[in-house]
Amino acid sequence: MYDIFVYFCLFLLQHREEKQLEASVESLASRVAHVKNALHSFIYKLENEYERLAWPSVLDNFALLSGQLNTINKLLKNEKTPSFRNQVIIPLLLSPDRDEDLAKLTEQRVPVFSHEIVPDYLRTKPDPEVEEQEKQLSTEAARIGPEVAQKQIQALNKVCSNLLEKLNNPRDDRDTETSSLRQNKPSFNPADTNALVGAVAFGKGLSKCRPPGPVAPTHPGQGPMMSGGPTLQQVTIGGGSGQQAGMGGPGAPQQQGQPGKMPSSIKTNIKSASGSMHPYTRSLPQQ
Amino acid sequence: MFICVNSTGETMFSYFRLKSVWVKMEAPPVTVMPVTGGTINMMEYLLQGSVLDQALESLLHRLRGLCDNMEPESFTDHELVYLLKGQQGNPFILRARRSLSHPTAPWHLRYLGQPEVGDKSRHALVRNCVDVAASHSLPEFLNEMGFRMDHEFVANGHIFRKGVMKVVVSKLSRILVPGNTENTERLSLSYLVELSVLAPAGQDTVSEDMRSFAEQLKPLVHLEKIDPSKQRH
Repeated sequence: MYDIFVYFCLFLLQHREEKQLEASVESLASRVAHVKNALHSFIYKLENEYERLAWPSVLDNFALLSGQLNTINKLLKNEKTPSFRNQVIIPLLLSPDRDEDLAKLTEQRVPVFSHEIVPDYLRTKPDPEVEEQEKQLSTEAARIGPEVAQKQIQALNKVCSNLLEKLNNPRDDRDTETSSLRQNKPSFNPADTNALVGAVAFGKGLSKCRPPGPVAPTHPGQGPMMSGGPTLQQVTIGGGSGQQAGMGGPGAPQQQGQPGKMPSSIKTNIKSASGSMHPYTRSLPQQ
Repeated sequence: MFICVNSTGETMFSYFRLKSVWVKMEAPPVTVMPVTGGTINMMEYLLQGSVLDQALESLLHRLRGLCDNMEPESFTDHELVYLLKGQQGNPFILRARRSLSHPTAPWHLRYLGQPEVGDKSRHALVRNCVDVAASHSLPEFLNEMGFRMDHEFVANGHIFRKGVMKVVVSKLSRILVPGNTENTERLSLSYLVELSVLAPAGQDTVSEDMRSFAEQLKPLVHLEKIDPSKQRH
């Protein structure tokens, strides 16, 4: 429509209203050109770079388009803009010959101003399907009667104003309700995070004190690797190292019946050593 | 001030006087030391979080949108953690991992160092990392070397990639009968989510990129730097 407006309005301009018309048409045309460019680059991106496209950038493109459409709407609603409905576009000359000026103006989209393109480009009536739907809606509206219609209007107004109020109120009012809603559906549990990280990092929760059987090639009761504070895990390191010598034959029968009792005996062994095993004391200044 | 140097010329410790007392400083962490030779030290930058089962689908959808466009890959791995006890008491840990979904693929052996405590403002956990592939005789080899298996678990889930960043969403299960990977029991009702990058030492911009990616996953999952030594309790 951009090219059509510019091409024909030039013939009609004479008065100041016409000057105003021209100005508003120019600005409308430039806005529409922005939309066209945005759409063009978006389509190009979708067609050629779809492997690398991520949805944040797609959302950005849509947001840009919606912003541009909004400015067009604002421009049309502006009081300085004359009503375009009052203007009539009449084709004065139709020819099946190619028109170079028109082709240049429209970037080769409309090379010929002929009988074929006029019904599409200069259409003012909506499509037949759309017309049908509009007719149905207006008969429906006439059918329900004015009181019912009024009630429906009031209900809609109330819903809209409620929503606007909620949106306009400061966040702290809303946070108390939404936080209680959010608590019903949390998507992660910090305790679980800690449990899983512990399991991956040093096997917390994975069976440690394995009962030594004839088939088990592993050493039961070996504590975790890194040195840390005086915790139960640390305690079993001492137990492991202390019992290492006895692991083979004589150690096994001792542990076999009492995997649960092992920690208690180890505690006494290790307490004396735990202070010096803390890694951070090595780097503190010694006063 | 004097400096203790080890056989390769690296500064190990230095002592300087503070008032009337000698104070010992250890060598700075690897990230600020120049690379003098041998292989480049790779560091693993890590952020971890978890997501409940019911939110898993939405997390997977979001990751599919945010990450590189590839078929989401699922995996089932069996990881065994081996310890070698030394004289000093800090055992040496190696992690051996094999794929249960690709039984003929080689084993993967990994060493993870202590997390670096250098920079508190760094957003990710940084630790030294060495990865090698190994043949199927790895467990016997480690046993012969003196390593003993400490614990094992089965992890299965999905892996996504975005540039150099790798996101792994996995469900951990404990093995009830040692050596039997069929008989497993889930460790918790959540999936572990890990965002990691393997980069040479010294690149601190990596953690910034990781943090901005982690922002995009909120509020579904909070990826943060979790110090493993704090999880002992």
